[in-house]
Amino acid sequence: MTCLVDLMRPRIGFAALRLLETAGCRVVVPDAQTCCGQPGYNAGEFDSARALALKLADEFADCEYVVVPSGSCAGMIRVHYPTLFAHDAIHRERVAQLAARTYELTDFLVRFANVTALPGRFEGTLTYHDACSGLRELGIQRQPRALLAKLPGAKLVEMPDATTCCGFGGTFSNKYGEISSAMAGRKCAAIGQTGADAVVAGDLGCLLNIEGRLRRLGDDNTKVLHVAEVLAGEPE
Amino acid sequence: MSARDRILARVADAQTVNRHAYADGQRRYQAPAPASDLAPLFGERATRLGSEVLRVEDLLEVPAAVARYLATYRLAPRAVCWPELIALPWSRARLEVEARAARDDDAVGLTGAFCAIAETGTLMLLSGPQTPATVSLLPDIHIAVLGAANIVATMEVAWARVRARHGALPRAVNFVSGPSRTADVEQTVTLGAHGPRAVSIILVGN
Amino acid sequence: MQITSAEFKRKASAALRDTQLQHALGRMQSHFVDKRAAAMRELPDVEALRDAATAIRARALRDLDQYLSQFERAATAAGAEVHWAETAEDANRIITEIARAQSVRKIVKSKSMVTEECALNEHLEREGFEVVETDLGEYILQLAHEPPSHIVAPVMHKNKAEIATLFEEKHRRPRLDDIAALVGEAREILRPHFLTADMGISGANFLIAETGSVMLFTNEGNGRLATTLPRVHVAIAGIEKVVPTLDDAAVLARLLPRSATGQSITNYVSVLTGTRRDGDLDGPQHMHIVLLDNGRSRLLGTSMEPMLRCIRCGACMNHCPVYQNIGGHAYGWVYPGPMGAVLTPLYAGIEKSVDLPNASTFCGACVAVCPVKIPLTDLMRELRSRQLAQGLRSSAERWGLRAWSWAAQRPNVYAWIARAAARLLRRLSGRRWLPGLSNWTGGRDVPTPEGRTFRELYRDRHPK
Repeated sequence: MTCLVDLMRPRIGFAALRLLETAGCRVVVPDAQTCCGQPGYNAGEFDSARALALKLADEFADCEYVVVPSGSCAGMIRVHYPTLFAHDAIHRERVAQLAARTYELTDFLVRFANVTALPGRFEGTLTYHDACSGLRELGIQRQPRALLAKLPGAKLVEMPDATTCCGFGGTFSNKYGEISSAMAGRKCAAIGQTGADAVVAGDLGCLLNIEGRLRRLGDDNTKVLHVAEVLAGEPE
Repeated sequence: MSARDRILARVADAQTVNRHAYADGQRRYQAPAPASDLAPLFGERATRLGSEVLRVEDLLEVPAAVARYLATYRLAPRAVCWPELIALPWSRARLEVEARAARDDDAVGLTGAFCAIAETGTLMLLSGPQTPATVSLLPDIHIAVLGAANIVATMEVAWARVRARHGALPRAVNFVSGPSRTADVEQTVTLGAHGPRAVSIILVGN
Repeated sequence: MQITSAEFKRKASAALRDTQLQHALGRMQSHFVDKRAAAMRELPDVEALRDAATAIRARALRDLDQYLSQFERAATAAGAEVHWAETAEDANRIITEIARAQSVRKIVKSKSMVTEECALNEHLEREGFEVVETDLGEYILQLAHEPPSHIVAPVMHKNKAEIATLFEEKHRRPRLDDIAALVGEAREILRPHFLTADMGISGANFLIAETGSVMLFTNEGNGRLATTLPRVHVAIAGIEKVVPTLDDAAVLARLLPRSATGQSITNYVSVLTGTRRDGDLDGPQHMHIVLLDNGRSRLLGTSMEPMLRCIRCGACMNHCPVYQNIGGHAYGWVYPGPMGAVLTPLYAGIEKSVDLPNASTFCGACVAVCPVKIPLTDLMRELRSRQLAQGLRSSAERWGLRAWSWAAQRPNVYAWIARAAARLLRRLSGRRWLPGLSNWTGGRDVPTPEGRTFRELYRDRHPK
């Protein structure tokens, strides 16, 4: 579970659980997990990122797959953990194994679960924003769209430059707030062009950034939703 | 120790670590396979980049083609040419042609071409006593005479041809792909920046 | 060049408010991004080509000393003189000495970013030479006394009205408002300079070790004029610019123009080898090649070495959403955008450019388009790490990181902080300003958390 979901939108976590359970998976959420280490890693604090990577590897040691409702956290584990331990003969193998069985949620569902009926339903038009890490580190692009295409009631309309960064970038969004807001502004304009009822993405960071900018610009109508929320729908 | 020796020593030192870092034997890039008929491909690409392509059957028809071209654009029947081309019957086409390096006031420059590259629609010109570089550079109009048999597929093939014919490189190899241009102002492409405003290729033979 | 990267935030902020600049930046998508994409689609296998280009550049760096020596031998044999400069000052001194020895008065210049690195123009002018930039963009900047804002399109920040005003004032001619007419006027003004210059200075896109040649990719023709007409040609290039063979250059030639401007090839590609030969009717009598180190050899054999593969196409900045919003001047040195965020700290001082490697969302658009696959985001992250190790980041940030790291390794503490933060943020919801988050709240509302954390809710539902 990602830190932002834990703090801001637990329902995304439960939506992910529902999707995985519907797909027939037995899901555990290790209690002691904290952060994957990405904020420190991207700040240049590699030692603490390594410590957290090993902590995470221990906690998920018994899981066949590790599924993350975020392309950026999944990318951290899949792509960057092996880099962090490239010269560490003791832990390299364990971290590589963890990386190899870690997947972003929609990627996992498309790859391993034969999803026929989705629990969710959305009446209206959706537009999908490609979150950067998922897109460029893990190749998440076709997977969420394939799932959304199966969602009853929903119609997907593409926004221009869907793959352009929304400006979140973790601490960047606060350190370089003006630039970040300007980037989010362009994203909001692209969303606005589609006239969609909701913008959907696979990373909560982007969603918070986009939502914050939309609301500040006076748009109180466009829904801002995580792909898991849309696909899983409201709980019974 | 000179600057040269210090720089090279630093480079060599760093590389004791480095030489093992890369695996060798990466697959060499295979240039795109040549089309069976290169002339149409060359013509299409050259035209796309703003060159004009005229066709004649025989080298002896070139002067008349040049005369017609100059008349069409209402240009005086005068040109500077590569010494290599002076033997063509220019005066029969009522053209005043001088063989020399170009000067600022030359309006039309006539050159040959060592070969041309179909992949990009590019002329390849080699400098030399018979082929001065300024003729394709200073005049407003550049007219190049190109034998259709001298069109090759890629730049790699062109280099192989230079090695085979000349061994070493001349002072200047100039690849020309259309009229000079700039997009510096508002990224708007404008032809005729500092070099020729028009490039015309007379393709000789089939 | 004077470095002003310390003012990054202030300049970026001003750039965001500059409506004229924002209008100019709005052209980037169609003129650079879309054109590059279209040009790449012409190629049968872009990935294989990028891999080949990467391998060529890596091979050149692996045996750089041998290729440099080979280049020097071949260039010397063709009649050129090769000079070695350890620093920008050395390069400036060497070129001044050449100009003095040849009794040069007027110098025409073709566009070269390395000479911007050296601030060569200012130096030569101080030494009493007349220096004329001849690339249209660089010429405009010379008239305006401004630095370039882009390595390929140096004057992209100006519109034609500004250029018209500048020409009217400096050329003392009637105002022209049409782009073609402005280009024509610059041609008329500059042509006599080419004809009367004693020396032409160019950069080099590649140095060919096999033949000792300088390879130039240009569109305007000024590069050809500056290296053909004056009796002395000086080419200056970083030592990393060498490639082994002409065939290697042919591979790179498929990528450089496509990556830079979306052209399948630039209008002119010139391979210049030595001086005027016996019987030649034109060409320079003297050719000097200045090989500049200026910090490059220090990167070899380190984690920063991949940066030396750079072929200066500018695709990274064209595709960078930060650059697309603020333009190039905010970066404060020669090279803007992602490549500048790596090169500026390395060449001009890590302590003078702390913002640059941090002002990136790590979106990876630059890495995805780099023709020689430089892992720009990894290099920026490594520079952030060096900043931390050297104590260059604010103490608030350092303590924040330390506290986060401490807490994240203690699940109970972490869970408690998350709980407290969720409740606090919920209570503060609706405020348009929050302490510590003022840069966020300047342009965005603060999102409201649900109230309880996932962890709490999950425990309720799955009691042990």
